[in-house]
Amino acid sequence: MVVHPTLLIVLPLVGAFSVSLIRRYGGGAIKLYGSAYLFLNLIISAVLFMEVRSGGEVTERIAGYSPPVGIFLAVGAVNAVLVLLINLFAAFNYLTFNPKDKEPFHRFTVLYLLGVASSSGIVLTGDLFNMFVFFEIAAVSSYALVASSKDERSVGSAIKYMILGSVGSTFMLISIALIYSELRTLNLYDIAHRIGEMGGAVRTAAFTFLIVGIGVEAEIFPFNGWVPGVYGRSDGNISSFLVLGPSKAAIYAILRVLITLFYGSSSRAVMMDIAMVLGLITLVVGEVAALSEKDPKRMLAFSSIGQMGLILIAISLGSAAGIVAAVFLMVSHASVKSALFLSSDVYRQGGMRYTLTGALSVGAVLGLVGMPPFAGFWGKWYLLSGAADEGLWIVIAAVIFTTAVEAYYLARFLSRGLSMKKRGGVKPTRVITMTVMVGVSLLVGLFASVIYEMVSAGVTTLLSGGI
Amino acid sequence: MRRAVSALLALLIFAYLFGVLLKAPIPGDYRDERYNYYSPLSGREANESVPDHYVERGEEETGSQNIVTSIVVLYRGFDTLGEVTVLFTAATGVAFLLSTQRSKGEKEKKKEPNFMASTGVGLVLPFILLVGAYIFVHGHLTPGGGFPGGAVIATGFVLMLVAYPRFQLREKKVSVVEAFSGLAFAVIGLISLIMGLTFLENYLPKGVAGTLLSAGIIPLIYIAIGFKVGSELSAIVSHMKGGEE
Amino acid sequence: MEITPFLILSAGLISIGLYGIMSKKNLLKLLISLDIMDVGVNLLIVTVGYLPGGTAPIMDGDYGKYVDPLPQALVLTAIVIGVSVLALGMILTIRHYRRTGSLEMDEGGVFGW
Repeated sequence: MVVHPTLLIVLPLVGAFSVSLIRRYGGGAIKLYGSAYLFLNLIISAVLFMEVRSGGEVTERIAGYSPPVGIFLAVGAVNAVLVLLINLFAAFNYLTFNPKDKEPFHRFTVLYLLGVASSSGIVLTGDLFNMFVFFEIAAVSSYALVASSKDERSVGSAIKYMILGSVGSTFMLISIALIYSELRTLNLYDIAHRIGEMGGAVRTAAFTFLIVGIGVEAEIFPFNGWVPGVYGRSDGNISSFLVLGPSKAAIYAILRVLITLFYGSSSRAVMMDIAMVLGLITLVVGEVAALSEKDPKRMLAFSSIGQMGLILIAISLGSAAGIVAAVFLMVSHASVKSALFLSSDVYRQGGMRYTLTGALSVGAVLGLVGMPPFAGFWGKWYLLSGAADEGLWIVIAAVIFTTAVEAYYLARFLSRGLSMKKRGGVKPTRVITMTVMVGVSLLVGLFASVIYEMVSAGVTTLLSGGI
Repeated sequence: MRRAVSALLALLIFAYLFGVLLKAPIPGDYRDERYNYYSPLSGREANESVPDHYVERGEEETGSQNIVTSIVVLYRGFDTLGEVTVLFTAATGVAFLLSTQRSKGEKEKKKEPNFMASTGVGLVLPFILLVGAYIFVHGHLTPGGGFPGGAVIATGFVLMLVAYPRFQLREKKVSVVEAFSGLAFAVIGLISLIMGLTFLENYLPKGVAGTLLSAGIIPLIYIAIGFKVGSELSAIVSHMKGGEE
Repeated sequence: MEITPFLILSAGLISIGLYGIMSKKNLLKLLISLDIMDVGVNLLIVTVGYLPGGTAPIMDGDYGKYVDPLPQALVLTAIVIGVSVLALGMILTIRHYRRTGSLEMDEGGVFGW
């Protein structure tokens, strides 16, 4: 083990605890301090990624006790990709915040660092209750970040988010209590190994409560009432953080539940079908709602719901192709959707006409629709081929239909944005961050074989109950 | 209409949840063989269950007489670091959101302290602080620990806020306590990493279980948690009352 | 000790809280409902760890039979998390009240878009 995955969680905590000590040096110093931790995290996650790529899974025990007696972190191919993705974009996204807009900036930095640390924690941990704790950190910091937006109505949206999120976390706790009463363990892999010993009714209930609980954060259909309000009223760079951090971690948690936790249970097929149906509804409802939405931010929010539905469909295929597709879709969504949210703040000010922002937005839209050579193309490609393998024609039809819808409203979004005649300034930091995001989507698409080989090697162990 | 539908849904959820709970093995004896765990790292089935391990081996492995404490601080110490962080996140969020929007024209008149209240608080406060400190220092021996201890200490400050309308928590000082106690927890864990152990692994002598100086790093971590929880809860209350930034 | 009353109580508290969240629009009532749900779940977790005839898991003297210590540790975490969320909810409510002068939730309740 070259690096300790724990550091990805603990270092931002150290940064968050200590940032108030340097607040008298002003916003610039605080920003430097926060970025230092985020970029350090980025390096660590890159090293971890290389390590998983060359040597397979990495595990780390906490406090020296072997799981399930203690907690452990389990990094396989899928979450190595995801944790690198989250830390990469989170670090660059942090640069777009202006200390003067977010007074007092040291408090803002604390919330941001904790949001990043907890998203990494959800992705890395191998323990169900530990995952719940990280979910709560991510949720609480998101509520506060959303409420700090310029649009004062965002407070109302944050309240709604908070209430739905708290109901979700209560449901997660109910599920944890049910699983614990049957198995007396909280370790994901221990539960997965012994899932067959659970009573049928209790297992179904545990599954339902867990999917509903995580589904709130993962924007799955009937539990996502908070999404349009929160994304529609938050600042663009806060929405982009929510897209690239907590919501990606949440959809990954769903992957863990479906693929690792309940994969071995006898009613697995029914559970996968339920998830597939939820994903289909989420996809279609989200995309159709986006089509009828005029406000650019709310449109992006509905589109985000649709994308999450797409990822859920890919996961619930339950096959190797499905998981590979889910990884590409997560990369695509985190990169280009965040870039679009960053551009949404200057949308009305005409900041997209004849500027680099405009060019990058065009790239992001192409990536989102799934044009080659962007990552989104491979996501949809593997999803369609996976669905064709299993003869799921309804999935293929839904994906093609929603892609057409998506292309239509995103083209409308672009043409309106590019034709605004006003001249507005765009901060150079935003342009840099957007370049990184769109660039990553492009690079992952061009060198898709790197991710493909790594993930499909990892998927084999994942599907056989390993890490 | 809305109420009727909600009531119906709530009743359905009640019936479902209660039905499931009746089927779940509650109460179950955790020493039963069916709960024996499987270790994902070694791939072996153990001949004990997880809670059984805590009860049978906890005192010997951690040196703490209170098994709940040994779970909270060591076996599941990572949860506790997260738990402290949730509270810290909330405290930061409270301060952040209140300071970005100062209330206008909401200046309350500062009243003179009530004699009875101020004298009473003056008498009680030292004892409250003492009890709080006692609770978190003895976390590995008696029920209690960093969280209850910190909460008791915070009640002391809440009493001060109630009795002296002009009393204000020095925000800067509180945040220094907050920062250093949080750092202490993280650094105690990181020292284990530097020493070549795993994060939060005990590196101090365990001593004789049942004495004050035992259980290795547990009392140190609980003292850090006590300070952190105390300062954060006080800060939350003080901010809600409208303290300074 | 008979355990069924505790199961009824915890399932009851959870569904009462859910009823409040579904039917109320007043933010304070919503926060109270959340807290009621929280209490219900915490009660459930403690009940899961109960062992008839067991004592508190403190190894002072030999009682031989202890209740399951893990749920007690979990509940400690759950309580602190509940308090944190509630504190943040209060602040959001205060800010909402200062802006709108009302404690009603906007956007048509909890479940609408």
